[in-house]
Amino acid sequence: MASLNEITGVLGRKRAAHLLRRATFGPTIPEIDQFAALTATQALVLLFDDTAENPLPPVDPLTGNTWVDPTGVAGPPKAGSGNSEQDQLFEFFQAWHMDVMRKAPLTLKERITWFMHTHLPARWTEINQSEAIYYQNCLYRHYAYGSFKELFKKICVDNAMLRYLDGYSNKKNSPNENFAREMLELYSIGKGQQVAEGDYTNYTEDDVKAATRVLTGWELDETYSFLDADSGLPIGKMRSHLAGDNTTELATEHDTGAKTFTDKFGGSVIQPSEVIEEFATVEAAYEELDAMIELIFAQQETSRFIARKLYRFFVYHFITEEAETDIIGPLAQILMDNEFSIVELLTVLFKSEHFYDEDDAVKENDNVGALIKSPVDLFTGLFRMFGIQFPDRETETGTFYGDMAFVVSNLVDQGLNFYEPFEVAGYPAYHQIPGFNRNWITTYALAHRYQAAGILMKTLEQSSERTFVLDIVDWVENAGHISDPSDTLELMDVLVNNLFAIELTQERYDYFLYTVFLDYTGTNLAYARGLWTQEWNLYTGSSDDTVVRNLLERLFTAFIETPEFQLY
Amino acid sequence: MKRRNFIRNVAYGSAAGLTLGGVPLRLLAANNPLAKLAADSVNDKVLVFIQLHGGNDGLNTLIPISQYDEYYNLRPNIAIRHTGTRSYLEVDNTVDENARVGLHPDMLTFKEMYDQEKVAIIQNVGYPNMNMSHFRGRDVVFMGGDESGNNQYKSGWMGRYLDNIYPGYPDDYPSPDMQDPIGIELSGTLSLAFHRENGIPIGLNIGSPDQFYQLISSVGVDPPIAFPGSHAGDELRYIMEFEKKSNQYAGRLKEVYDAGSNSTVVYPEVYPYASPIRANNLSSQLKLIARLISGGVKTKIFLCRIGGFDTHGEQVDENDPSLGLHAALLHNLSGAVKAFYDDLNQLGIDERVLSLTFTEFGRRAKSNDSYGTDHGTATPVFVFGTQLNSGIYGVNPGLSPEDLHNYNLVYNIDYRQIYTSVIQDWFEGDDQALIDTGFSQWVDTRLPIVATTGIQEYTPGKNPTSLLIYPNPVQDMLHIQYNLEFRGALTLHVIDGSGRRLKSVQLEGMFGPNTTAIDVSDLKEGMYHLQLIHRGKQMHSSFLKL
Repeated sequence: MASLNEITGVLGRKRAAHLLRRATFGPTIPEIDQFAALTATQALVLLFDDTAENPLPPVDPLTGNTWVDPTGVAGPPKAGSGNSEQDQLFEFFQAWHMDVMRKAPLTLKERITWFMHTHLPARWTEINQSEAIYYQNCLYRHYAYGSFKELFKKICVDNAMLRYLDGYSNKKNSPNENFAREMLELYSIGKGQQVAEGDYTNYTEDDVKAATRVLTGWELDETYSFLDADSGLPIGKMRSHLAGDNTTELATEHDTGAKTFTDKFGGSVIQPSEVIEEFATVEAAYEELDAMIELIFAQQETSRFIARKLYRFFVYHFITEEAETDIIGPLAQILMDNEFSIVELLTVLFKSEHFYDEDDAVKENDNVGALIKSPVDLFTGLFRMFGIQFPDRETETGTFYGDMAFVVSNLVDQGLNFYEPFEVAGYPAYHQIPGFNRNWITTYALAHRYQAAGILMKTLEQSSERTFVLDIVDWVENAGHISDPSDTLELMDVLVNNLFAIELTQERYDYFLYTVFLDYTGTNLAYARGLWTQEWNLYTGSSDDTVVRNLLERLFTAFIETPEFQLY
Repeated sequence: MKRRNFIRNVAYGSAAGLTLGGVPLRLLAANNPLAKLAADSVNDKVLVFIQLHGGNDGLNTLIPISQYDEYYNLRPNIAIRHTGTRSYLEVDNTVDENARVGLHPDMLTFKEMYDQEKVAIIQNVGYPNMNMSHFRGRDVVFMGGDESGNNQYKSGWMGRYLDNIYPGYPDDYPSPDMQDPIGIELSGTLSLAFHRENGIPIGLNIGSPDQFYQLISSVGVDPPIAFPGSHAGDELRYIMEFEKKSNQYAGRLKEVYDAGSNSTVVYPEVYPYASPIRANNLSSQLKLIARLISGGVKTKIFLCRIGGFDTHGEQVDENDPSLGLHAALLHNLSGAVKAFYDDLNQLGIDERVLSLTFTEFGRRAKSNDSYGTDHGTATPVFVFGTQLNSGIYGVNPGLSPEDLHNYNLVYNIDYRQIYTSVIQDWFEGDDQALIDTGFSQWVDTRLPIVATTGIQEYTPGKNPTSLLIYPNPVQDMLHIQYNLEFRGALTLHVIDGSGRRLKSVQLEGMFGPNTTAIDVSDLKEGMYHLQLIHRGKQMHSSFLKL
């Protein structure tokens, strides 16, 4: 019986590591130790902390300043005219977002922001405005701890989304169904079985048409000076003109008719509350949008769809029937009862027996270590745990952007087309049935993932221009996590216990230790372990680290090049 | 040798893991009767599946000449001109009036191939209750089902077919007789097409074989690896299988790549006019496939794709509907395929390769205000090859208000009528293959696309509705072969000399050739008529009952 009952006691190291791996972009070893001493409730206070400032906007190396301004004062796009061109600015944005995740404080804010991007995607080649994509990212961050439903109202008229799914060309006399369709099918209530022509259980083609009409009349604000009142961020606006009274704003291209939804939505009718000179007022048009989102989010199935998305993101890709009833059901209800607050849902989830595999004694359904890392997770986990230094993105832009371009090109090789998803549903790992995150594993991508160690330690001939590097000898010796590096077993344990989300069997552990690390095939294991101790002591006595470096690099590489390391 | 016989003869189980007298099978490959059995069960034919990603607008690809006015009135802001510069290219003026179509003017290379009899155009392809979602639409066709409730698969039909002819994947492969990846996908992801019901997908995705090899040979550790009995263990197992396969295939693909070559044929790289997308992304994929086949790869199915077809807006240039995004995509598709077949021809392997386009749905007959089209339904399919019964299958789509469905085209040919022909006639799949893929019920109505013996005379584009009965005189079963121009309901009546209807059968007929039979053993001796009524028209044939 899967259960959301609360766990008790302090987390302990295993539960702390599991929680931090799932909730953040990767803990350090001291952070795991710190959280091990906390209860789940205490841990969540820290994880939902909101005191950190939002990251500063990205810098254009050409000017030394940013070209965007989340307060909306900066105005129209400045690409060219003294700033870099859009294509370059986009690359700077990509680098910035990757760095923001890498450096994020140990809280859920940035992780939820990333979740929102994987759920409501953006595609550079369709949007072509770095400013729009940046402000969308700020919008997600603004609502990360807030109401997903309120975010949804904003995303319908967000500049990047309006461009991506043609919302800006959806007008009363020439409706364009693109966004409305994907909104229902992919982003909110989800598609059910097709039970008749045009009937997808949760909504029908007529609902798509009705929603399209509600969404008519918005346009891009390419000056980025029209600000959303609630978030203060630049957002799309309504095409409008003034009424005869020279005060009231009328929605020029908004469909003024009644929009009748089917019985899937209780037959609700949405229409403008005020029509003047045959145009709906702008205010009335926004009320309709509001009403439509409230209508969609009032449906049980919407809450279940979102709950399942979150479950797959934070727990496991496959939802058993039992989990659907005992976990998704209650989580969905939490969303319904709390204005779709992701924080409320995660609070219950992260304190639950189910999350820590303690709701039953059955091992087969255990979820610890059962998610496959995205390429972002793969890198940030290593960057953070090993304290890898990067150039400062504000003051050392030349080397920073060079380094991050290299990281981003590796994300692509590993299967993440960062801000360039092929599908409007987003990156396949987050939506493609039946495998979901198994989609990260293809022959090509897997081989590239395995190369992460070589990339970090620069043992690959791939690029000498990057500056970041993991000096594994330095880390072992000076990072303070191994009290006695000459102690072979302590060295192994620290690495194994912190790099892997699952336990290794003794056989596998011995394989790494004796076959890979010590290159030893005999039976005198104590002697073999002594070989490392000898080498380390030789190194500390001299200054020649050649042998220990080779050995440590070989071991570290072996750990990364494993199926076990792909999991978290 | 039929597959079932092979399975009966193998007493040991898996093909690759065999040892005979302690000697691993590989060493016996040359002489081993089992290896020869395996070779006999598949032919050397290859299928290249070209995915037009996003939903191709069929009406602007093939312009219906017989309904040009209605076509124009539905989409005046994007309609291809019928006269003047950059108007459509008529494909074939020898076919029936209602099958005459024009190509988008940037498809000149396609027309050249058509004239070389290397193209079969299949109009109005779809399935019941077509799904206008990119994902569902794509998934349905990859899985081999439809939306009428007959969609029980979690796997792709290609996966099921390959699983049928190469049982025991992944454990038994590579094998001495099949050292190559069973399916290859040339994109960044592995689509549903190669997914099987259980286990890892049976296809591989690769970049370029050279890079692939460099990459694969530099990474990976050996077992032992233990799989905990948890969800994490399941994921480990999944990952491990991929790793093993990569290692096994990388070296082989490099061998094949090095052994192969392309001819001097130049593949087009760029669309010559202005367009948001100009680079030809299909050329490099097809060029690679040609090289791998010439190098001796025995992979049977290749998947490649071009994206950009989801033309909700800016499908055409505002000032000239024959230019713009869609034009570039069609130009690139035609040019790349022409170069591909010219290359294969020079390499002496064109007879082995059949290519097929696929798109998840067509687009709305009525255009929108953004010079584009929304999601639609039926769409044409193009088949390319040198062994085709070439021509135009199917009549132009009806475009009058009563023919359209919410401004969407109504399909006439079920896509499974095409795929079944691929399995049965191209790959020479046996009964079990058809059962496994799920296509056995389509055998009798499959389109005779592949020029082969044993199928009744059929000339695409010149086949009005017709009726043939045999034997005549008849004693027990009256066999009826009827050819329909339009799928749909029909009724068969057996009528006696006084005009009385003695037997009636209601059927759903498919486009093209159909067969059925009526038991007439209980009729009294004498002359009768068999009457066929379909779409308000009737035809009949008389027969003598003995």
